[in-house]
This record gives sequence, C-alpha cells and structure tokens, in this order.
Amino acid sequence: MSDFAIEATQLVKKFPARPGTGDKKIEGEAASSPKKKRWQFWKKEPKALFTAVNGVDLQIQRGEIFGLLGPNGAGKSTTIRMLCTLLEPTSGTARVNGFDVVKQANDVRRSLGTLLAGERSIYWKLSGRENLEYFAALYHIPQAIAKKRVEELIERMELKDRANELVEKYSTGMRQRVAIAKALLARPPILLLDEPTLGLDPQAARRLRELIAELKQEGHTILLTTHYMEEADQLSDRIGIIDTGKVIALDTPAGLKRRIEQKEVIKLEVTGWHDEIGEKIKSISGIENLITRQQGEADLWEVNMQAHNSRTAIPRIVEHISGNGTRLVNMNIVKPSLEDVFIHLTGKALRD
Amino acid sequence: METSLTPRSLGQRGLLSDIQAFRAILRREWTIFRRYPSWIIALLIWPLIFPMMYILTGRALSGVDGSGLAVFTKLTGATDFIGYVVIGTTVWMWQNIVLWDVGFALRNEQMRGTLESNWLSPTWRFSYLLGHTGPQIISMAMFVLITAVEFGFIFGVRLNGSVWMIALTMLTAIPAIYGLGFAFASLVITVKEANAFVFLIRGLVMIFCGITFPISLLPSWMQAVAKWMPQSYLIHAMREAAFSNAGVAELSSDLIPLLLFGTFWLIVGYFTFLWMERRARQTGAIGQY
Amino acid sequence: MDTQLLSQPSFATKLRALYVIARKDWKVFWRYPLNAVSNIFQPIIWVTPVYFMGQAFSTNGQALGFAQYSGSGDYMSFILLGTALSNFILTVFWGMGYALKEDMDTGVLESNWLTPISRLHILVGRTLTSLLTTTITSLIMLLLAGLMFGFHPTGNALLAFLAAIPMLVGLYGFGFAFAAVVLMMREANTLVDVSSFLVQGLSGANFPVKSLPYWLIPVSMMLPLTYGFDAVRGILLKTNTLFPIYVEVILLVVFMFVMLWFGAWIFNRVERKVRALGTLGQH
Repeated sequence: MSDFAIEATQLVKKFPARPGTGDKKIEGEAASSPKKKRWQFWKKEPKALFTAVNGVDLQIQRGEIFGLLGPNGAGKSTTIRMLCTLLEPTSGTARVNGFDVVKQANDVRRSLGTLLAGERSIYWKLSGRENLEYFAALYHIPQAIAKKRVEELIERMELKDRANELVEKYSTGMRQRVAIAKALLARPPILLLDEPTLGLDPQAARRLRELIAELKQEGHTILLTTHYMEEADQLSDRIGIIDTGKVIALDTPAGLKRRIEQKEVIKLEVTGWHDEIGEKIKSISGIENLITRQQGEADLWEVNMQAHNSRTAIPRIVEHISGNGTRLVNMNIVKPSLEDVFIHLTGKALRD
Repeated sequence: METSLTPRSLGQRGLLSDIQAFRAILRREWTIFRRYPSWIIALLIWPLIFPMMYILTGRALSGVDGSGLAVFTKLTGATDFIGYVVIGTTVWMWQNIVLWDVGFALRNEQMRGTLESNWLSPTWRFSYLLGHTGPQIISMAMFVLITAVEFGFIFGVRLNGSVWMIALTMLTAIPAIYGLGFAFASLVITVKEANAFVFLIRGLVMIFCGITFPISLLPSWMQAVAKWMPQSYLIHAMREAAFSNAGVAELSSDLIPLLLFGTFWLIVGYFTFLWMERRARQTGAIGQY
Repeated sequence: MDTQLLSQPSFATKLRALYVIARKDWKVFWRYPLNAVSNIFQPIIWVTPVYFMGQAFSTNGQALGFAQYSGSGDYMSFILLGTALSNFILTVFWGMGYALKEDMDTGVLESNWLTPISRLHILVGRTLTSLLTTTITSLIMLLLAGLMFGFHPTGNALLAFLAAIPMLVGLYGFGFAFAAVVLMMREANTLVDVSSFLVQGLSGANFPVKSLPYWLIPVSMMLPLTYGFDAVRGILLKTNTLFPIYVEVILLVVFMFVMLWFGAWIFNRVERKVRALGTLGQH
C-alpha cells in the first residue's frame, strides 16, 4: 500500500493519429523507405500514433496541493483523465489512494472527487439540489447521510436560496459551485481539479482559491491543473511543469523561481560603443554572457548581459559607459517570474 | 439631394452583391450536404420504403382474394392503388423534408455558433434562407424522379397523364410548401422544443390531407379543415394529373387555391422573418441557444 | 471537519442507485413538456390515416379482406395493439443511443462514469425509466385511440402482458448493442431512422406478416419481434398466429436471454474502446 496519495510511474498515452499528424519518428521511417513499401505492400503500415503523454512520473504526498502547469496540448488533461480512470494508459502504472487505476478502478473512483468539465458536468434540467442528491446516491452514500451532506454543501457553496431552481438558470459561477459540491459529496481524500477557475470572474475565482486552501487545511490532497501562473504559485505546495507529454520540472514554487532568479537580463542601448568598455563591464562580478550587436549602419549598439544581482551591477555599468563619447540611450532590466521559468524551460508561452 | 460626388461605401447593399452571396451560400450548403454519405441512402431508400408500408397495409386489407381492393376502387375511382398511395406519401415526405431542412437551417447555424457572424454581414438576410432552398429543390426533384423510376420499374406503375402537368402542379405548390418552411425557420430559433412542432405540422398533413385515402372518407368537420391545407390540393391535383390525364383546365380548381395559399405562406414566411429579426435585435437572442 | 469517506457501497446503495437514475430520467423527461406530450400523441397521429385507410377497404366496418389473413375483421384493434407495442421499438432505437450521445456531448456522461457505479449498471437504470415511461405513454395512447377508433380486446390482458415481457426485455437488450453503435457513429440519424422503420414494418406492427409478399416472409420470421406481436395479439385479440402461442413465447424467452447477454457484451466492449480512445466528452 503506497504512502503517496497519487503515484504515477512512466505513464504513457498514445492515440491513433490522423495521417500527417502522427509522431515524427514514425512518419520519418515510412518516408525514408519508399522502395520497401512498393514491393512489400502486403505488410501492414505501422499505425500512425500521436503521443499525448510520454512517460510521466508523479508522486503526490498526502495533504499537499500539487499544481500541474503546462500550455494547451501539453498532456495535462490526458494525465488527469488517466488518473481518474476515464482513460486507460497505453503503458505505465498509476495508483490513487493506493488503488491501481486500471485494475481497481471502482475503488479509485470512490476515493476521488473530480472537477472536469465544470458547468457542463451537471444536469441542466435538474435543480442544484436534485443534482447533488442524484450523484450522492451514485457515490453509494446512504440516504440519511446523503440528505444531510447535500444540505451542508449547499450551505457551504452559498447556493441556499436558489438550490431548487434548474441549473440551466444559474450563472456560470453558480454552476461551477454545484460541480465542486458534487466533487466533495463523499468527502473523498483526494481531489482532482482540472482548470477550476477557468471562465470565472475574478471575485469568484478568488473565492474558489480560498476554498481550495481551506480544503487543504481540512486534510484533502489536491491535484490541480491550471494555466494561470499566479494561481499555481499561490496555492501549490509543489508544482510540476508539463510540456509535450513529459514533466520537465518539479519543485516548490520558490524552488522553481530560484532557478533563474539568479539570472536577470540587462539590456542596454548605447551609442559610441568601444570594445574596451565591454571588457571592463565583464570584469564586474556577477556579470556573464555579454553580447553586443550593432543595429544596422547607425551608431547604435544593443548590449545584453546576464547579471546575478542587477542592483549592485548597474551603478558600475553606468560608470563605465559614461564619458568618452559613449552614451546610454536605453536600459531595461528584466526580472524573472514563474512565467519566465516556464519560458526558460519550454521555449513557449504559457497562454497561447 | 445627393450628387455623384458623394462617396459610396464599398460594402453597399445591391442586387449584385446579394446574388453573389446567394451563390456563395448555395455552394457552401451543397458542399456540406455532399460530405455526408448518409444522404445517398436517404435519397435511394426512403422513396421506396416509406410508401411500401402503406402499400403492404393495403395488400393486407385487400385480402387473399383481393376483395378488399374492389371496395377501395369503388370508393376512390382509382384503379392503381399503388400509384394512388405513392403520390400521397411523396407529398408528405416533401413537406417533411422541407420542414427539417429549411425549417432548421437557421437553427443549425445558431447551434454551430455561426448565426451571429452570418447575421452581421450586410447581405440581405432573407436571401440566406432562399440560398438553402436551391439545393433543396434540386434534391427533392431527384427524390421524385427516383420514386417514379423505382415504382415504375419494380411495381409497374404506369402514368396515364402528362409529365408536364405533374411538373406544373409541383411547381405551383413550391411557394406554399417552402413558405411554410420559411415561417417555420424563423419560429424555430425562438422556440425551445422545435422538434415537437415539426411532428405536429407533418402530423396535420398526415391526418387531413388524404395521403392514403380519399378525403371524402373524413367526417365533415375534418374535411373542412382539409380545405385549408394546401397539401390536400396538391395531392389531389397530382393524382388527377398522373392517372386521369387531367389538363390545365381540370387542374385549375386545385392549382388556383395552391397559388393563393402559396402567396399567403410566402408573405407570412417573410414577415415572420422580419419580426424575428427585429426581436433578435432587441433581445439579443441570436447568439444564445 | 471529519474527513471520513462517506461512500459505503452495499446492496441497498446499489439498488438505490438504480432508483435514483430512473427518477432523474423521469424528472428530465417531463421537464421537456412539449416533447412529452408529443410522445403521447404521435402514435395517435400515425394511426389516424391507417384508420381511414382501413375504412376505405371495409364494408360495414368490417375489413373482410384483412380477416382472411388474421381471422378477425376487427382491423383497428389489430393496428392499435401493434402501435402500442411499436412505441417500444421506437423508444429503444431512438432513445438509448441518443440519450447516451447527448450525455456525452454535454459532459454529463463523464460525471456519471466517474462514479463508482459500473457503467452497465447505469445503463440498466436508464432502461427501467424508459420502460416505465413508454408503458405509460402506450397505455394512454391505447385509451385515447380506443375511444376514438374502437379497441376491443377479448382475451386475457394479464397473460398478454406476461407474454410481452420477454419481448420487451429482449428488445432492450438489443438496445444496449444498438446504443453502442450509435455512440460510435458520427451521423447515426439515417441508420436509426431506416432500421427502426424496417423493423417495425417487418415485425407485423401494421399488417399481418402472412400478407407480405412470399419472399419477405422469411425475413419477418427471422425477427424475434414478429413472434412478440403475434403472440400478444393472439392472446388478446384471438387472431390467427403463425405458430402455437406457447411456442412463440418460448422463442421470445430464448430471444430475451440471448439479447441480454449479447447487448451487455457489446456494450462492455465498446465502453472499453471508448476508455482507450478517450472519446468521452470530446465529440
């Protein structure tokens, strides 16, 4: 029996791909041997496959909030779907609450509260209360207990005065609250929240984040996917950054930021540049990777460098530049954020 | 007074741009339609199997010795039972298809989420619906043709009349049948359970218009209702044209009411459209579903 | 706050789940009031031209030609009973696959499949409501149409009802398999339309199977539903039957078991495929 709330080992998920969109490797093989194809035409073509998740390892501790961060198409949703048993992995294993997702799927479902499609995941032709009573029964909650539990959640989610109206009349925020209440019905030890604040107005999103923090206090383990950087930063104990089907970084938010906080980028635009100035600047401690580039024919130079501490470096830099016909036209210091960690690691923006 | 120096905006509303838009819509609908292979089945199979149910019923009613059929012939004057039924069912299917196709044209755009973007274009919006009618009429003509071929070859149904008369009758009915479709299209956007309305309208045609039996069998109050339904005249006229060698003179007692109803329904269709458009602009209901 | 898991599966909770699913479907059905009413009146609409057609072939209210095939001149009772039973065919063909498809499109199917109840269990629950709702609409229709056109059963209603059960259960079993097919197809309308129409026609919903052209009769004989219609009519209306009634009932019971097993098997296979491909909620 595992100590981890969620444990995934080399999870892989491949889907059959439409021609032309499969993994490059397979396409290449087929393309590089056309001769083979012609006289061995009875051999079956390798089926084109698209790898959505390419060996994901996760170990989520009990009681922690784990943020899974990544751009669209990174494999977040696919990973979550494998963990909640909606999708079967092509290879690899995963255990949720100690149960295997393939062989003990029902036990996994009992242990999970999931928020996937948000407002579309509940019945619009039923009222909020009816929805909760319905799902409570499907989670095997005995009737007497279910009744109390539903009332409790309606209260907590602030749905009381409209609990008997049909969900089709609710706002998006209210529907989301019903969906969350549904996830909490059986008091599952583990919660899977897929983009929980997507589409919510700022106030509703803030309240939801407060709720998530409360749930952690109450002992729930939470796996959260998002592409809102601040949200992941604020809520998570640890963050896993996922891109093209692999986890490329896993650390606490602070840890991740520290990776490149050490480096800031200072960009200068200078006229009248001399190489000796470059040498002098390089000798300042903490300055690395000085690059200069002349902008066209004009006497304008772009000077970029990485600094460990721009605050102390800048006065010295300015000192070296002033005078002797050299003039500082523009200066920019880029401070790293978690977004930059992401860009640094993946080369892509988080929101596309 | 405007002079010729007044600049005219490029996106002007004019007949030429409407025709171009019309053709573009036509082309688009035809392309989409063709991509679904199930339409082939629909076009080949339905003309055959739908009338068949009633024909087989008729066979059962005729009995082993065909004595029941004699009763039918005496009542209706129709010697070709199969031909009699086929015309009725074809007209019913025509109205049915128009209700679904044209009736839901706007609704489908609404569901695809493209209604709003289409709406915003300065093309005359009614032409959008008209654009749907083009391919529809063509496929319906094919439908009728296939019906004629299938029943001609398989069951030996023979015409006793002029094909031109039949064609004339159907042409005369187009305004009525499609006018109803237009009125329906406008309603469908604003009504929630539109399916139920299609069932209702085609149900009325089924009950009152004598698709498989002579209207004379109906109680008088029902016959009175039938007089208000253009499909009754269409069915009667087509039967006369196809099997009693009727000419324009004989058919006029049916064709004239058809034209009157046609005019009526086209007008209703157009005004319902305008009403719906105005309402949509006021309530912003176009984008929602 | 206590964090003990509230999910306590037991026989009682499993039974209650079936009830809750049925209750949900029942509520949702009536919350589309126009469709509900339409469901009740549509069979009557379809029956009306048949009634008048029958009149066109009858003398003094007796369809004598028809009587040569069925043994009774009471044409309308024959038709009304056929229509009441056809209701179930329509529900099975149109109801199950599309209900699943709609759930899939809205995202609610995922929610259901995330619960610790087996997917087949859920399907059974939905079937129960469907059976109940359709029985009620059929009975109402029979009542109304009987008033309008005349319905004169002379046999034992309870026996007829018992004979209908294996047919209906088998039909729903088939429905599981058919639902799986609809789930997998993008454009299922034509298939459902045509096949439900043909099945109805060839099972003798609208005319005695014996009156069919000789080359179609074997096709009819292969459809289990034919025996259902035949047996129920034989009991309730004392019409001629293709085989002795007890033989037909046995056939129906066999059909029922075969279909239940087959339908469940197909559904499970498709469900596994859906889990491998992940087409849930993505259309």
